[in-house]
Amino acid sequence: MIVLVLGIFGAAAFIIPHPIVKGIDGTMRNDVLRIITAFSLVLGVGSIIQHHLIKVRRKAEHWPFSYVTLIALVASAIIGLFGGIDPASPGILPTHIGGFSFHMQTLYENVMVPLAATMFALLAFFMASAAYRAFRARNLEATLLLIAAFILMLGAVPLGRMLIRPLPDFAEWILTVPNTAAKRGIMFGIGLGSIATSLKIILGIERGWLGGGGK
Amino acid sequence: MKFWDRLLRIDRRWLYAIIWLVVMIPLLFPFKIKPMAMPPVTRLFNYIDTMPEDKTLVISVDYTPDIQPELHPMCIALLRHAFANHRKVGLLTLQVMGLGLGEAAIRQVTEEFNSRATTHEDSIINGEDYVYWGWTTPIITILLGMGERITNVFPVDYYGHRTDSLPIMAQLKNYDDIGIVVSIAGSSIPISWVNFANTQFGVPIGCGATAVSAADYYPYLNSGQFTGMMAGMKGAAEYEQLVADKFDELGIRWELRRKGTEAMSSQTAAHIAIMIFIIIGNIAFFITRRRKK
Repeated sequence: MIVLVLGIFGAAAFIIPHPIVKGIDGTMRNDVLRIITAFSLVLGVGSIIQHHLIKVRRKAEHWPFSYVTLIALVASAIIGLFGGIDPASPGILPTHIGGFSFHMQTLYENVMVPLAATMFALLAFFMASAAYRAFRARNLEATLLLIAAFILMLGAVPLGRMLIRPLPDFAEWILTVPNTAAKRGIMFGIGLGSIATSLKIILGIERGWLGGGGK
Repeated sequence: MKFWDRLLRIDRRWLYAIIWLVVMIPLLFPFKIKPMAMPPVTRLFNYIDTMPEDKTLVISVDYTPDIQPELHPMCIALLRHAFANHRKVGLLTLQVMGLGLGEAAIRQVTEEFNSRATTHEDSIINGEDYVYWGWTTPIITILLGMGERITNVFPVDYYGHRTDSLPIMAQLKNYDDIGIVVSIAGSSIPISWVNFANTQFGVPIGCGATAVSAADYYPYLNSGQFTGMMAGMKGAAEYEQLVADKFDELGIRWELRRKGTEAMSSQTAAHIAIMIFIIIGNIAFFITRRRKK
């Protein structure tokens, strides 16, 4: 019943400009939704702490890394809450020893950014290896894919224009015309599927999301 | 084992070593490249360049550190363009991991301008020329709420100042005061901007996307729901070139690093290397297959 009422109201508020509807919609979006989201943060932090504490207690595989996660979680939360953003905006907690600073922004730029960029950079190696081993012109479809990939890869770098002047424009045409046509078809399918699934959930036909099976 | 068989079974670590060299050498010794802007980038640049003076450019820093090398140059180029044109800027992020990147970008560009400023008018002042609203959640609350009153969505900015006390916010109440929102993201967040901000409030949306996700956005570009788009490192380099040309036009002769353009050397070399890998791999595959038949 809650899903039915809120689901219909949430959709109706977009098309009914009445002040009472707009007022309730504003309260739901600005207050209720934010409170629910705040609870999800508590749930998320609680889950991650519980998960890693259990791993440590049971000495599960790679359990020492759970200590790293827990220590990083607590340390970054304390520094984030009390330590200030950077030396220009200090908090109540002293977050520098002499010239060595460990403010949130310093930690972010010197730990988080290189770690995340390194993880993502590994993709280049896997892509190169996969391109060598698996990208084969085995049939017509694969050959077309290979030719399109060649044109787009060459069109995406200045060398493409140097070798064949209209190549970048042709690469742009592939993205603008055949790619858009295919994507639009997929998007219509996804859109209609989303509407059907949403209606099934709102009307109580689909209850799998409650964890109770399909009935 | 024959040569082609050996080539097909080559240890992948050799491929890794080659790709490492191919990326690293041009990074250390970049070759000179002058990018030529494609229509989606030019459209975005021209729109920002000619939008009414009282309108604000809003940049939504919706990317995370993993894709920073590809997207951060776009944010820097947009900020340089806006400040050189004396446009007000509002920054926010819908990705909590993007908070520090927004702060790093605005700090870098304001330092570039303020270190050369001689008067108050030349300086870029927080709260007067730009505001960094920071992050809040959920997305739908932000995107719809900004159409009503921005200070309700962001009561305090990233630095803890009350937004209703900032001078810039006196002329920046909701989407009516925003010229364009440019969402720079590696996820589908720009589509949320289209769905809620463009469709409901009519605010123009621009997009900065990773090369791999750019193909998903062409339908929105064709329909006009995106005013323009920067796609991948190439898009960033093209926008940097347009900003550099604008600086020349304005008589600004600063030597500023253009990281998107610098990285194009590496990207060019890596693309060529991967294409050569594919060609060699296919030749080896067909020769060995014919022999087996």
